[in-house]
Amino acid sequence: MSQANDSQKRKAGVFDVKDRRQTTWIFFLLPALLVYLIFMAIPLFDSLRLSLYTGKGYTPTTFVGFQNYIDLFTNPLWRERFFGAVKNTTIFFMIHMLVQNTLGLLFANLLSPNFKGRELFRTIIFTPATLSVLVVGFLWTLILNPNWGAINKILISVGLKQFALPWLGREGLALPIISLTSAWQWVGMPTVMFLAGLMNVPEELLEAARIDGASEWEIFWKIKFPLLKPVVGIVSILTFVDNFNAFDVVYAMAGAKGEPGYSTDLLATLFYRTGIAGEHPVGIPNMGMGAAIAGVTFFILMAGVLLWLYLSRRGAEDV
Amino acid sequence: MSKKANSIITYIVLTVWSAIVLFPLWTLIINSFKPQKEIFKDPFGFPKNFTFDGYIEAWKNGRFDIYFINTLIVTTLSLILILWIGSMAAYALAKWKSPLSNFLYIFFIAGLMIPIRLGTIDLVRLIKALGLQDTIWSLIPIYVAMGMPIATFVLTAFIKELPEEMFEAARIDGASEWQIYSVVTVPLLRPALATVAIFNMIKIWNDFWFPLVFIRSEKARTVALGVSLLFGQYRTDWTRALAVLSLAAIPLLILYVLLSREFIKGLTAGAVKG
Amino acid sequence: MQKKLFVLLSVLVLASMLLAACGSAPVATEAPAAPAATEAAPAATEAPAATAVPAQPDDKEVTLTLGSWRVDDVAAWEKIAAAFHAEYPNITLKFDPTNPPDYNAALRTQLETGTGPDLFFVRSFTVGRELFGAGYIASLKDLPGLTDAFSASAYAPWATDSGEPYAVPISAVSHGIYYNKELFAANGIEIPKTWEELMAASKKLLDAGVIPFANGTKDAWDINEVVMMQLIPSDIGGYEGRMAYLNGDRCFNSDEMVAAFQQIADLRPYVPSGFEATSYYDGQQLFAQGLAAMMFDGSWSINDFKRDSTDFEWGVFYPPALAGKDLYVTFHPDAAIGANAASANLDAAKTFLAWLETNEFSELLGNNIPGFFPMAKSAPALTDPIANDFMSFNNQAKGVDIRFVWEKLMEPPAGSVDAYTSLNNNVIAVLKGVETPKEAADAFNADVAAWYAPSAGCITK
Repeated sequence: MSQANDSQKRKAGVFDVKDRRQTTWIFFLLPALLVYLIFMAIPLFDSLRLSLYTGKGYTPTTFVGFQNYIDLFTNPLWRERFFGAVKNTTIFFMIHMLVQNTLGLLFANLLSPNFKGRELFRTIIFTPATLSVLVVGFLWTLILNPNWGAINKILISVGLKQFALPWLGREGLALPIISLTSAWQWVGMPTVMFLAGLMNVPEELLEAARIDGASEWEIFWKIKFPLLKPVVGIVSILTFVDNFNAFDVVYAMAGAKGEPGYSTDLLATLFYRTGIAGEHPVGIPNMGMGAAIAGVTFFILMAGVLLWLYLSRRGAEDV
Repeated sequence: MSKKANSIITYIVLTVWSAIVLFPLWTLIINSFKPQKEIFKDPFGFPKNFTFDGYIEAWKNGRFDIYFINTLIVTTLSLILILWIGSMAAYALAKWKSPLSNFLYIFFIAGLMIPIRLGTIDLVRLIKALGLQDTIWSLIPIYVAMGMPIATFVLTAFIKELPEEMFEAARIDGASEWQIYSVVTVPLLRPALATVAIFNMIKIWNDFWFPLVFIRSEKARTVALGVSLLFGQYRTDWTRALAVLSLAAIPLLILYVLLSREFIKGLTAGAVKG
Repeated sequence: MQKKLFVLLSVLVLASMLLAACGSAPVATEAPAAPAATEAAPAATEAPAATAVPAQPDDKEVTLTLGSWRVDDVAAWEKIAAAFHAEYPNITLKFDPTNPPDYNAALRTQLETGTGPDLFFVRSFTVGRELFGAGYIASLKDLPGLTDAFSASAYAPWATDSGEPYAVPISAVSHGIYYNKELFAANGIEIPKTWEELMAASKKLLDAGVIPFANGTKDAWDINEVVMMQLIPSDIGGYEGRMAYLNGDRCFNSDEMVAAFQQIADLRPYVPSGFEATSYYDGQQLFAQGLAAMMFDGSWSINDFKRDSTDFEWGVFYPPALAGKDLYVTFHPDAAIGANAASANLDAAKTFLAWLETNEFSELLGNNIPGFFPMAKSAPALTDPIANDFMSFNNQAKGVDIRFVWEKLMEPPAGSVDAYTSLNNNVIAVLKGVETPKEAADAFNADVAAWYAPSAGCITK
């Protein structure tokens, strides 16, 4: 509390603003700021500090400077896992951008005019997003099961036995399948956000274009899409952030090791194995290295977000 | 393309997708009423040997009544706090033009990028120092903190979009900032608040990491933790596992179906703002 | 909006209470016991704080919590706890398991923050030793009777190099092949005496349209722990053979190791067609449905097989050695119980640990959880026939040994790959046909020799 008061005084000193409402603003901000600082920012900052230490278990005590980061980039073992995870996470994210957000845009566009059953479809599309990721992962594992899953049973029954693959067991196949599962679950999010955006498109503009004989395709690309650009930006950045933190779906469908053969290992599963659970069967976490992995993830995310902020500022100036 | 052809395509696309969405959910529910062997022999048909065993066992072994009430308390209180203090902060961030408020805005949304799990050990110490370990109260401040970035992000953007003249008019009428916030701004924020509420509700209801770390005793378990513990016990017994998963999923589905009308109404209101 | 949201939430609270009310009907029979247990728990956690002075622990009501990774054995441990309580009425034992994948991490967090259970299951070798080294486990060098009740080799996995014990061994596990007797009879197959006969039998089963082995690789650990490490002892010659690797006399790509990898390659045609995506539990189900004739698995699964495989007769046999080689069996020390060094009830905890040495406990454990074999010298005979079949492997074999990599090979310096992970990856690569047995053995050798000092001479350019 006293710290907050101090900083308040300091702020008043440093920012000699004419805004007389300054105390009011600080009063508005204080509850959120305190909770956020105490229960998120400080613990997170402290764990960034941990990335400079090494030691077994949860109390790394030996200061090693940037050695964890150096190992991560130069030790062949760490490098292979780490860059593998970066690559997989990027693929995971790209599939979401391509499939989840494209479908979301399509559905939003189909759902924006009023028609019978619209509300029902909208409700259905968003439904999987309300489920726990573990439930979804487990369900799809059942459906994709090579021995008695629906997909393979259907493929075999229509004579496509050669396509009845062990979906989650093949390297190169498992990651796209898991990404699609996740896209299936979350497609409602971009749909709803694009829908909100489309509702801001003035109906007169669309009517005028229709009278001029523009096709729906042209109307979409020439009128709706440019107006949706800010929403596209927000959806992209949220997809980026969510998927670079994704963990549960891989944990549920491919285990914490990102089976098979680390081909579905994401940054978050690598972090979990390294810093929290430890590798099976020994299970001794290397918290310092885990913190370093999270640190690098943080910088990747930071770079992406700053790029987005830069682009959206520039976009705003253009308009 | 004619309007009719368009609407036929609309129906086809949406129906196909709806089937893709509903089919797995249907298998979840129907298989939870089948004995293990029937699940494997006939995973997608209607139950022939209808059984409630999975549900009975789940209720016997896991106190789902306690889990549900705990999760509801945690989710509800966290949401109310997130919406309340988040909207206050967002109002200040949107209206206070100063380097400090810009910095704080960035500082808040930076939280979107960091996996909070990394701070677990520090949080464990903090919760213990506060004497909250092994209670549901340990979860609420963490969830509120976790909810701040998305709340400030969405709400600040939304408030910035509101016409400035409206605020000026209120100020000229002699309204205090608190009145402008609570009387003028909050009612207009409803669609954005709904969005924030839904985003956070899903996250909080389904979170199992923090309950796993902080909570041991049955009286404080949440649905997600109960599910993960029972799931471990039932992983060879799919009837029970699916019953547990259904039990966990259905309340939120009901809540969603109830709320989705509100959610969509809120969005429509958002469309005609200003 | 907020008002409406709140109304909706309240509706849901009511709905869930209704659900709770409906749900309590089937629970009714259990009801008297359940609330009592939950109320006892908080009282118990308060108790240690109140009795800061453990002057006369015998007069005090004490509740001990026992942490474990055995979520499947709740019922059996409740029986064991009841038997202990009958003998020591002032001590109540509460079994409180965590899911196996979370166990090590969760326990460590708890110990770290001083919220650990009074007693907990301790993993053998590396993991336990590390916790003891960090001061979280109480030393048991003064526990009466420990060194008499157990042979030195039985408690060694939970003792320091100088022989100081820190946990009481409770159980070892064995391994074998579960087989469907009806499918064997229908195809005219006898229990094979050599690996070659086993492969011939597998061929027969495959030709008859039966999956010979239910094992897959989706979960990764099982192909390593219940297949490869079950085969290795017969290939390398048991304990003496393993010591030759640990001393550096043999390299990890020796002919014996190539032979073990070759056996994995031999299995390739006989696992399910979607084996890459077949999990451990899928495998058990394939067996239970009668779709697969055999499954490599551990003795800890006896109860699972009993529950699921009810449509046919089944039994177990140990995978035979290659023709001309002697049979060695993997009999692995699995679990011990240690006391939390920071427990406020250390004396009561030690009372319980001493009780673990008794025949009463051995009998309760061995017969309630068949497949977990009590490790005390004087452990009485078991009643479960399948458990006794597993025990009989030890007598048929020329020798028994622990799993190959458990001792010394799982603690590499940071940034090196441990022998468990390397063996696991290479076994999967051979089963998938990505590596030849020779390539796999070479890769295994390269990984381990890179850091395991006695094998330094095995590093090849």
